[in-house]
Amino acid sequence: MTVPTIEVNPAQAQPFLKQVMDRSGQNLSACYQCRRCAAGCSVGDETDFFTPNLLIRMVVLGNRQQALSNELVWKCVSCYTCGTRCPNDIQTARITETLKKMAKEEHLEPLQPQITDFHDAFVRSGIRWGRVNEMEFMGAYEMKFALRKLSAGKFGAIFSELNTQARLGMGMMRHRRMHFGFLMAKGRKEIKALQRKSKQRATQ
Amino acid sequence: MQLAYYPGCSLQQSSALYDVQSRRIFSELGAELIEIDDWNCCGATSAGKVDDFMATAMPARNIGIAERDGFSEIVIPCSACYSRTLVAQQRLADDTALKEEINSELGARVEGSLKISSILEALEDRVKDGALKERVVHKMTGLRPVCYYGCMLTRFPYAVTVPDDVENPQGMERILKALKIKAVDWNYKTACCGASAAVNDPDTSHNLMARIIKDAVSRGANCFVTTCPMCQMNLDAQQDAICRENDIEERLPVFFITEVIGAAMDIPPEELQTDRHFVDGTTLLKELEEHEEKGK
Repeated sequence: MTVPTIEVNPAQAQPFLKQVMDRSGQNLSACYQCRRCAAGCSVGDETDFFTPNLLIRMVVLGNRQQALSNELVWKCVSCYTCGTRCPNDIQTARITETLKKMAKEEHLEPLQPQITDFHDAFVRSGIRWGRVNEMEFMGAYEMKFALRKLSAGKFGAIFSELNTQARLGMGMMRHRRMHFGFLMAKGRKEIKALQRKSKQRATQ
Repeated sequence: MQLAYYPGCSLQQSSALYDVQSRRIFSELGAELIEIDDWNCCGATSAGKVDDFMATAMPARNIGIAERDGFSEIVIPCSACYSRTLVAQQRLADDTALKEEINSELGARVEGSLKISSILEALEDRVKDGALKERVVHKMTGLRPVCYYGCMLTRFPYAVTVPDDVENPQGMERILKALKIKAVDWNYKTACCGASAAVNDPDTSHNLMARIIKDAVSRGANCFVTTCPMCQMNLDAQQDAICRENDIEERLPVFFITEVIGAAMDIPPEELQTDRHFVDGTTLLKELEEHEEKGK
């Protein structure tokens, strides 16, 4: 695939750049496109032409649509290699994490909805009980996965996912890696209070 | 000597063997791990993708508890929990308004005096004071491990002070050296296994792990040694499928560092719960022991 032209949108560039810089805590304007991030990217094979430096460029030029919806934002595994090697200390993985959240807030359909579903289910379990329950959050995630595929009419995907997870589950049982007890922390009230605070902050 | 201990959710569930091993090894080395009271989930890497405030607030509560109970150092074996807690502490130190905001909801306030140690740092202290060397019984000749650090122990989403080289960490090698085990040099020690992508994006994570396994095999390693329960679970549970996809014949057990230390100390594999691996590791440990018997 050839690298597409990045549209320049001067009207949007400044507010969008500021928003991403504030929320990610990264100084995107320091990027001089040396591409060390691109050379080290763990998921470089999966994201085709879409490299971390290109993502930064898109944000800087105000190409909001493409910056919020591309393979790199969704495939990024947050290994933090790009940011560790950046000569200007830009942690691009923090940018992909920020764009994931912004895409969600704008109700954009993620390219990989199951990735968002996974992290949502994980954090929800951790906040609800104070500790993450693997069986509970994986159950919630798999349910969501099945519902999404069901509404898309992709029955094959449901079957193949069930098959994979059942096999993993059996293996975990066989090796006594499955845990059946339930974990909870009494202090989950404090966690929930903090979450309320977080929501207040977001609306301010 | 007592050290605060944060097991985290994985070590209470799918990686409970790592919890058993960690407590045992440290107690053998004269440091008792005391689980902190009513700890909560650190948010892991997921919180950073969902809610930045919670990604700091969740580990903050645990730091507050450990400080309130008078501990000066906390040991966190899970790499993700370690990373999140260390980053949260630094963020709070750099942003007093955020610290105040989070503290106002906490029963035990964060002050900032706690030393947060990865399991490698805490073990290296036992290497330095000579405790580990004293306890070594077996030579483990024939063990050819590659040390696998992964991401969370080496690279951080925020500027924190770390005790090891980010591109070529040596902590595990130094510990193994104290056991007279020479680690195999390789290229993928800080590569990413994909973490949760093993569930939500399997193609990506299988590609990442295939490279890791291929390099380990081609270097002649006969096992992985790691500290991260997520890396361990991924490389262990997915290895057979990945090797079949990539025509790799070998299967390498994925040991926790605590397991290798335990075996060198002559703690039986059953007590270390080594039989809880997907890729069998007990056979290799038994072979090493028989080999040593013959040599005597």
